[in-house]
Amino acid sequence: MASTFSMSAEGLAFIKKELTRYETPYSAIIPSLFRVQAEHGWVPPEAVVLLGKTLNLPEAHINEVLYFYTMFNTKPVGKFHIQVCTNISCAMNGGRELTQALCKHYGVEVGQTSADGKVTINKVECLGSCDTAPMMQVNADSYLENLTPESAIKKLKEMGA
Amino acid sequence: MQVKLLSEHYDKPEFQTLGGYERHGGYVVLAKALKMDPNAIIEEVKASGLRGRGGAGFPTGTKWSFLPKNGEPRYLLCNADEGEPGTFKDRVMMEKAPHQLIEGMIMSSFAIGCKKSYIYIRGEYTDSLRIVGKAIQEAYKAGYLGKNILGSGFDHDMDVYSGAGAYICGEETGMISSLEGLKGQPKLKPPFPAVQGYLRKPTIVNNVETLAAVKYIIRDGAASYRKHGTEKSAGTKLFSVSGNVQRPGTYEVPLGLPLKVLINDICGGLKPGRKLKAVIPGGSSAPILTADEANKVTMDYEALAQMGSMLGSGAVIVIDDSNCMVDMLSTIMHFYHHESCGQCTPCREGTGWLNKITHRIAHGHGESKDIELIKKVSEQMMGKTICALSDAAAMPAISFVTKFRDEFETYIKKGQLGAGGAAHA
Amino acid sequence: MPKIKVNGQEIEVPEKSTVIQAFKQAGVDICHYCWHPGLSIAGVCRLCMVQVEGMPKLQIACNTEVKEGMSVNNTSDVVKETVKWGLDFHLINHPLDCPICDQAGECGLQDQYMQFGSYDPEMAEPKVKKSKAVDLGPTVMLDKERCILCSRCVRFTDEVSKTNELGIFNRGDRSEIGTVQGKPLDNNYSLNTVDICPVGALTSKDFRFRQRVWYLKEADSICPGCSTGCSVKVHYNEEGVWRVKPRVNPEVNGHWMCDVGRNTYKYVNLKSRLLSGKVGKRDLWQEVSVEDAVRSAGLKLRETSPDAIAVVYTGQYTNEEYASAFKFFKEELKVKNVFHWLNNPEKVNEFDGLLFRGDRNPNTKGLENAFASFGAKGSWDNLQAGINGRKFKTVIVFGPEDQSVFPDLDEKIKMFSQAENLIWLTACANKSLDSVGGETWQIPVKTYIEKAGSFTNFQGKVQDFKAGTTIVPQALSVSEAVELMAGREINWNLRPRGVGGPKTNYAVSDRGEL
Repeated sequence: MASTFSMSAEGLAFIKKELTRYETPYSAIIPSLFRVQAEHGWVPPEAVVLLGKTLNLPEAHINEVLYFYTMFNTKPVGKFHIQVCTNISCAMNGGRELTQALCKHYGVEVGQTSADGKVTINKVECLGSCDTAPMMQVNADSYLENLTPESAIKKLKEMGA
Repeated sequence: MQVKLLSEHYDKPEFQTLGGYERHGGYVVLAKALKMDPNAIIEEVKASGLRGRGGAGFPTGTKWSFLPKNGEPRYLLCNADEGEPGTFKDRVMMEKAPHQLIEGMIMSSFAIGCKKSYIYIRGEYTDSLRIVGKAIQEAYKAGYLGKNILGSGFDHDMDVYSGAGAYICGEETGMISSLEGLKGQPKLKPPFPAVQGYLRKPTIVNNVETLAAVKYIIRDGAASYRKHGTEKSAGTKLFSVSGNVQRPGTYEVPLGLPLKVLINDICGGLKPGRKLKAVIPGGSSAPILTADEANKVTMDYEALAQMGSMLGSGAVIVIDDSNCMVDMLSTIMHFYHHESCGQCTPCREGTGWLNKITHRIAHGHGESKDIELIKKVSEQMMGKTICALSDAAAMPAISFVTKFRDEFETYIKKGQLGAGGAAHA
Repeated sequence: MPKIKVNGQEIEVPEKSTVIQAFKQAGVDICHYCWHPGLSIAGVCRLCMVQVEGMPKLQIACNTEVKEGMSVNNTSDVVKETVKWGLDFHLINHPLDCPICDQAGECGLQDQYMQFGSYDPEMAEPKVKKSKAVDLGPTVMLDKERCILCSRCVRFTDEVSKTNELGIFNRGDRSEIGTVQGKPLDNNYSLNTVDICPVGALTSKDFRFRQRVWYLKEADSICPGCSTGCSVKVHYNEEGVWRVKPRVNPEVNGHWMCDVGRNTYKYVNLKSRLLSGKVGKRDLWQEVSVEDAVRSAGLKLRETSPDAIAVVYTGQYTNEEYASAFKFFKEELKVKNVFHWLNNPEKVNEFDGLLFRGDRNPNTKGLENAFASFGAKGSWDNLQAGINGRKFKTVIVFGPEDQSVFPDLDEKIKMFSQAENLIWLTACANKSLDSVGGETWQIPVKTYIEKAGSFTNFQGKVQDFKAGTTIVPQALSVSEAVELMAGREINWNLRPRGVGGPKTNYAVSDRGEL
């Protein structure tokens, strides 16, 4: 299975560089996982094996990091991973209704990916933009803030979702 | 009412760049600091009464003085893992004034004899990561970082590290674990970070706002800084105001300002026709204040502590009478359940338990004994774990069911919303 | 050394001790799961809470260093309440499936609940569901629901075996122990994780579902698996021996033992053993009593000229057995031709860095010492030549107890059997031995668990052990065999009774195998 997973030459070069950037090679795990995700959209188990070899670190330790941090997708997600904040200030200002509206628009449930593989919608915890509630983040892009269901759908359309 | 030290130039887009920053007095204070005796800087910070702006409110100068008095290599970590629900002031600063953080960090590092610092920024803050990263590069190019800074003989390197989605990394030893490339699980204390922190070397972890404030303390002197705020809560504080106010946002005011002034005068009050129901004064872990309490309290460490709550990160969540407290508590409990790192049993299991009870109530299956059970479980989660996340989950739970007991009882009896409130997710 | 008070009892403890160590030293019970004396401090179960006089908050005993004059207790109401709740937090997502759990009877949750808990649970919510019967590797199974996330097993693979197969993945109450794809828990120390698992989350594939632990007795012994000589406990009942576990011995094995050593119970049981004396040769075997076999072998020895006798020793017997055998052959029979059969000379100095050694004999050192003290010497080449040249008419072999570690066994049996007479003392039955062509005596001897004595390990440390149980009552120790071969008597009245052997499970035999 490991043979089916590969990374770009630039990606591997990036990882090698991160290995020398910090005081311990372990610190390269998070940036490397981000890099895998940037290239593949998610982090498959085979990537952990590859990183184990590339970083020369135990796979179990890499896997611990992978599963601890919620920004890493351990399952495939759509091209547009829509993450709507539904923590307290956003919930007070329509974050949950926004999620529902987006789910209805794309015909998916929370946590699911649309049939065409384009869109995944998730609720997330506070993203630290409570004064612009409700808000959301698509993939790892800049925040989309002060949303209404209509404005959110419009913005997503402009992005191609 | 607003006093703008740290936020003076937030309205100027050019303040984000080195050039713009320098045009407004940037890195001038650094030159001054590098000519001072490092101990004098520490003394000045002590004298200023500056307390940690991240949540715990520990005196910054005192924290620095816990470092061993020898040449052992040490690290300064800037805590920019802003994750406490309701808090966004650090992100705003990093995006609008990254250099003032960097400048504050260089002089703080100089004071404590540290040659390497990191800014640990939560991973979701992609804009902050980009902007601060670029600002560090600019600072290197201009000679504010690297070898022999401004001819002082002081060397300092700085780097950014991205978190990846874990509230617990805002806890200082959780952050250290994360920077070490591990799960962001808090470490046992003792040893404390100032003795054995990052890679078992002496380490100081300070919040973004704290480190930026150092610049202004050195610029104006401790006495001048102390003119703002109260005797024990000195200086200004950035408040993140959100919820049901007309003008949510980041506001810098002197500590000790009455909360009602912040809400009504600075943030434009509530929406027309709405009544204040409650305020969370310091992020979601701070015990909630009733409207009565909120109208009386001043925003400083002591007054809030006296009221049984805390200043925390300065995240003020204003709640009007359209909200259901059962719903809000279940939202908060969902958060702590989601974020518990899972190592200490009372927190791992307690956060899950509280989440289940509160959601069961919210879904109309509450029982009258649940209120007492929430209190009992919460009490047993407090002071029993490695870090304070367990307490952070327990405190709002106790305060919600105590202060809004009637509403919980009514809800449990009727199996549905009491007065107002959004639908449950 | 600081003096401290533990529940009012004053004790003196070593500098830098932790409070939990002080409790252990004082013999005072203290509830704990994650702390283990052989591992780093995790401080996560939060059960070893104590009240330290002068400190406002309760402290965990495992991470609190003692100080002169300190007074600690775990008997105050607040500590009791905390421990009670601490246990409840451990149990709210635990399946409480004790009736079908292998750990029942030796479970930390059960023990500590009976001692510190005994309350009515208030948890009425649905429990977190996790995977059960997870195959972690060749030796260990995992039940993720039973796991209380004490992290002992993870610390073991990180710190002791340094094999890093295990991790705790995910967070909060979704946390799970696990391995990663393509890297199972597979190392020679894997079963220590089962020992240190305080609950029934990790179970041994070899032991699970085979016995209820309360039907087992235990006996202290020394592992015969290699020259390290780990201190062990052997668990047995009237059906035989079921498992071997390590016993703490700071000078030799600390808290651990290897998986190879744990297998040493298998050849001890009836199925593998030689149960009676056998005299004859291929197709002409006569089963005789052990006494008859050994006496007639003794007669054969005594009528053979001493120069025509060759004695072959393996490093698998006790020092006491060597002493009686050397005395008999050297001093009584005046035999000069003695040989040391070393099964794996090329690997004898190997060591895995932790416990396991290439010398797969428990008492090579003891045998060498016996050779030295009786001024005996013997080279292997002379043996072969002596047999081939018909110099040696009678060869007596103190054969290996654990035959599996003698890869050259069949080949050597063939060689020995070219002598006119072969006397073979063996614990286990052997097919090669049954097909030899020369006149042969097979004499059943005891295994390490059935006799008292001592082994001298690789360090030269002499370790005594007592007899645990007897599987084959008719089997002799070498010392007894030697007495009988010499034509003397032994006290038959002092001989042990044997075990009954595996019970027939009629429920199974009537319906076929499970």
